[in-house]
Amino acid sequence: MTIFSLSGVMAQLIKVDQEVFGMDCAPCAYGLERGLKKMDGLESVRVSLNDGKAYLKLASANELTLQKIQEVVKSNGFSARNAEVALKGELLKEGNEWRIKVNGETFKVSDDTTSDILSKLNPGNIQLKGLVKDEEDGELTGKWNFRIIEIL
Amino acid sequence: MKRLAFIILVTISVINEVNGQGHGPLYGLQTPTLAKGGFDFNAAAMSLATEDDQSFMLRYIWSYGVTEDLQINITTPTMVNRLSEAPRTRGNNNMPANGDIEASVWYRFFSNAFGVGKRFESTAILSVSTPTEEIRSGINVSNSIHGAISTGYASRTWYAWVGCGYQYYFEEGNDQLGDLPYVSLVVGYRPNIFMGDYPKPDWRIFVESLAEFPGANISEGQLTPVDQRGKKVMLGPSFLGLYGAWGISFGALFPVYQDVTQGPKEEYRLSMNISYWL
Repeated sequence: MTIFSLSGVMAQLIKVDQEVFGMDCAPCAYGLERGLKKMDGLESVRVSLNDGKAYLKLASANELTLQKIQEVVKSNGFSARNAEVALKGELLKEGNEWRIKVNGETFKVSDDTTSDILSKLNPGNIQLKGLVKDEEDGELTGKWNFRIIEIL
Repeated sequence: MKRLAFIILVTISVINEVNGQGHGPLYGLQTPTLAKGGFDFNAAAMSLATEDDQSFMLRYIWSYGVTEDLQINITTPTMVNRLSEAPRTRGNNNMPANGDIEASVWYRFFSNAFGVGKRFESTAILSVSTPTEEIRSGINVSNSIHGAISTGYASRTWYAWVGCGYQYYFEEGNDQLGDLPYVSLVVGYRPNIFMGDYPKPDWRIFVESLAEFPGANISEGQLTPVDQRGKKVMLGPSFLGLYGAWGISFGALFPVYQDVTQGPKEEYRLSMNISYWL
C-alpha cells in the first residue's frame, strides 16, 4: 500500500514533443509559447515553426497533463496532433491490456507496440517513451493510446 | 516632396508609439483570429491620393480574442488631412479609410489545420461604424454597417485569400452615401531566405488586389448625379515582417481600372502598419 502511494505520487510526464498543425507565423509561435509557459510545472518550452512542434520539458514534480497541453494548443487556434511523450508511473496489467496512469490520465499501451518491447514489460514503476496518437481536439478525455518506442 | 516628407514623418511618429497590422495582408480581407484571451494593438498610417488632393490619417485598432475563433475589434482614427471629395473605400482590411469609428466582430466559422504550418479557414466579419464628421463629399454622413466573408489558405510558404464585403450607409438628413460592395484577392509568398525558425524574423510579400463598386449617393432625396455604380480595381504589393510579438507591414495600391461616376479618380493608396501582440 505504501509502495502504491509512493508510485502514485511520482507518476508524471517528463517530456512532451507536441505536434502542432496550422501554425504558420512568428506571432503564432510567440502566442503558443507564451500560452504554454503560463502552465505550472514546466522546466522549459521551445516552439519550432519549421518542425511544427512544441518541445516541453517538465519540472521534476509536476501535475501537468497531456490534455491540458493540447487544450492550450487548441485555444491558440491550432490543432494538436501526435505527441512523443516520456513519462513515468506505475505500469498495470488489466486483462490483456497494459496501462499506466499519470496525473489522472490513462495511457493505454497500443497494440502496435513491438512484441520485443511488450515482452519486456512488467507491472510496477517504469519510465517509458512513446507516441500518443492524435485525438479529436474537441473530444479530449484524458485517455490515450500509447505506442511505446523505448523503455527508459 | 512635401507629401513624401510628411509620409515619412507620420510613419516615424507611428513607429515611436508602438504600433502595425495583423499577420496577413494589408488591404485585402484575411481570416486569422487571435488566440483565446489574446490581445493585439495595431496602429496604421494611411494615405489616399486623388487627382486633386491627398488624405493622411493615423488609425488605431484594439483586438481581443474572446475564443480562438471569435475576435472583437474597435478602431479609431486621427484625421490629419481629410479629403473634401473622398472616394468610398474600406481602406485596410480591418480599418475604414475614412474618419469612421468602427466596432467589429470576426468569427472564424471554419478552420482545418491539415499540416505543419498549413491551414484552410473561413471568417465572417460584421462591423458597425459611426462617422467623426458631419458631411462627407457634400453629403450628410450617417452610421453604417459592414459585412464581409473571407476564405483562404496559409502555409509556411504560400498564402492566398479571397473575400467579399458590403458596406451600407443609413440615411441622414435626407442624404445617404452610396453603398459599397467590394471583392479582394491576395496571394502571398515567403522566400526560402526568410524561412528561419522562430524566434528569428519572418518576412513575406503579398500581391493584393481590390475591386470596389461604390453606389451613387442620395442628396436631398435625389440620386446624384446619376444612378450608376462606379467600378475600380486596385493592385499593388505589400510586405509583412514579424518578430516575436511585433509585426510591421507596408504597401501601396495603384488603380489599374477606374470608372467612377462620383468624386475624383484615385492615384494611389499608401499604408504602413505596426502590430504588437500583448
